[in-house]
Amino acid sequence: MATATASKSTYGSSKKTKGQILVDWITTTDHKKIGYLYLITSFLYFLIGGVMALVIRAQLAAPGLEIVQTKEQYNQLFTMHGTIMLLMFATPLFAAFANILMPIQIGAPDVAFPRLNAIAYWFYFFGSFVAVAGFFTPQGAASFGWFAYAPLSNTTFSPGLGGDLWVFGLALSGFGTIMGGVNFITTVLTMRAPGMTMFRLPIFTWNTLVTSILVIMCFPPFAAALFALGADRRFDAHIFDPANGGPMLWQHLFWFFGHPEVYILALPFFGIVSEIFPVFSRKPIFGYKTLVYATIAIAALSMTVWAHHMYVTGSVLLPFFAFTTMLIAVPTGVKVFNWIGTLWKGSITFETPMLYSLGFLTTFIFGGLTGVILASPALDFHLSDSYFVVAHFHYVVFGTVVFAMFAGIYFWYPKMTGKMLNERLGKIQFWLLFVGFHVTFLIQHWLGVIGMPRRYATYLPEDGFTWMNQVSTVGSALLALSMIPFLWNVYITARKGEKTTLNDPWGYGRSLEWATGTPFPRHNFTSIPVIRSESPAFDLNHPESAAPEAKAAPKKKG
Amino acid sequence: MKFNGNLFYFLTVFYFVDAAGYALWWYNSNGGYEPIGTAAIAMLGFMSLFLAFYIKNTGKRQGVVPEDRLDANIEEGDSEIGYFAPWSWWPFFLGLFCAMAFASLAVGWWLFFIAFPLALVALIGFVFERSRGLNAH
Repeated sequence: MATATASKSTYGSSKKTKGQILVDWITTTDHKKIGYLYLITSFLYFLIGGVMALVIRAQLAAPGLEIVQTKEQYNQLFTMHGTIMLLMFATPLFAAFANILMPIQIGAPDVAFPRLNAIAYWFYFFGSFVAVAGFFTPQGAASFGWFAYAPLSNTTFSPGLGGDLWVFGLALSGFGTIMGGVNFITTVLTMRAPGMTMFRLPIFTWNTLVTSILVIMCFPPFAAALFALGADRRFDAHIFDPANGGPMLWQHLFWFFGHPEVYILALPFFGIVSEIFPVFSRKPIFGYKTLVYATIAIAALSMTVWAHHMYVTGSVLLPFFAFTTMLIAVPTGVKVFNWIGTLWKGSITFETPMLYSLGFLTTFIFGGLTGVILASPALDFHLSDSYFVVAHFHYVVFGTVVFAMFAGIYFWYPKMTGKMLNERLGKIQFWLLFVGFHVTFLIQHWLGVIGMPRRYATYLPEDGFTWMNQVSTVGSALLALSMIPFLWNVYITARKGEKTTLNDPWGYGRSLEWATGTPFPRHNFTSIPVIRSESPAFDLNHPESAAPEAKAAPKKKG
Repeated sequence: MKFNGNLFYFLTVFYFVDAAGYALWWYNSNGGYEPIGTAAIAMLGFMSLFLAFYIKNTGKRQGVVPEDRLDANIEEGDSEIGYFAPWSWWPFFLGLFCAMAFASLAVGWWLFFIAFPLALVALIGFVFERSRGLNAH
């Protein structure tokens, strides 16, 4: 495994000035470091978006409050909360985990295009900054909702620099995402180690591949739509002018991106829990191939369901989109079946990553069920744009992204840093987060059913929404508190956490990242074990229960 | 690369069938056609077809590679995987100047005339960094 790399002479030396460290990070082309950059940046955006959510919840804690001074500021808050959480937190978080793990899981020294990878990150970094820079302008940030419906998003109804910056900043960060997607696809197709056939790829790598295919399918139309909107706003192009059917064109284009985007957020995190369940159940993943085919089916179908966001426009083909949307529940159900099959009769232990994965499973299933309710046009007409929808997508997206993110962080933290996070703090954090989340969002289903619309800055005492909103606000405070044990955990682990040098600190790791050094060496491997199944590290570390071909094959060839 | 190509052929067939089904269904219930969705799904079919064709053809020219063989050992792979740039300043500057150029579309043309040349310099720097000329590798 020779890689012709001229290593920087300073690399790995422990005496580096702060400036050298900074330059190291800025100029890095190492997929792991770029992944860490993605992870840190997106987590910071998660905290920023979370603070916005807290302000929103505080504003709604009682009728008639004026915690947010103007309604316009409230509009900016929910717009930027949505934008930040989807496009600056969750999407780059996919790039973070894919960057850190996917090349190692396929036995590659790096991604196929390391410098393109760096560009993708910097486009995301600077693009996101441009998009949120609207907060520093006199009129404030974009305020037309994160899906920027025409004609609300034109300059007549939403004037100001903030909206323009939002449009062009997102376009740039979208290009970064596309580049990342191309890079991941190329890497999986061309950089696999010998013996790592497509049906031996770890599930996380499969999901990275499929997600990247979704990225290159749905981000280009979004970039085009954003440029068209920018042309409308800045150069009077009248592309989304209501006079020539612009609102429907925008909604189609936006949701043609927007729905697959939800699956871009979901699939990689399905992949993370699919890595974690087998390790803590001490069983191989149940039904590997069905899981792969289900992922492909979800991805293929997800491009054809977009107009279920547009039922209430009255100009979409209701039965077609209701049918495809309900159809997508089938492969998703197959996945849930596989996960439960993996747990079934396994000898389960409840380390923090496993707790988070189980938290994901319960939360996501609930969100999926309300999704089927919303897929039915007859019910959607009542529930659309109510808090029921808000509750539904928070269950789906928070359930997958945040729960699986923490699962992944706790799971791979020793591989990334060489230190285990504290288990006790992790468990405290999990229960705070789990209870906080469900208190915040479960009640919002009923709030929606009795008619509270989303995106309203306040409500009347006579509406009868008060106590439910109060429950939700209390829950959100608990949810916010759960970040404290986590940040404390990271800090205390960095200060005096116990070092681990074991290749496989959890004991039952399956894919290749558990067969290399802790923390990862520069080009990932000093030697790669022979690959005879989808669990080469498990075959190596547990020869007594390894795949039969792996037993026969010579060990530790590199 | 057999399954890779087939994956994209599957997507090709799926999206063409889906586009046709969508168009017909719309025609049946509303008359006429719905241009946006039909075009969007059909284009997915074309994109998948390009990818499938390219991957299949490349795979045919390559023959069976070790990463697609069930019994391949690690040492059967290429001894030199490629050249990996150990670091690079250009991605950072390309990102910075492109962000300035994109922001200039919102802010005003004066910034564009500063940012665009800088972005071009960064792009050229990025493309030709570590270039040794054609066929010199």
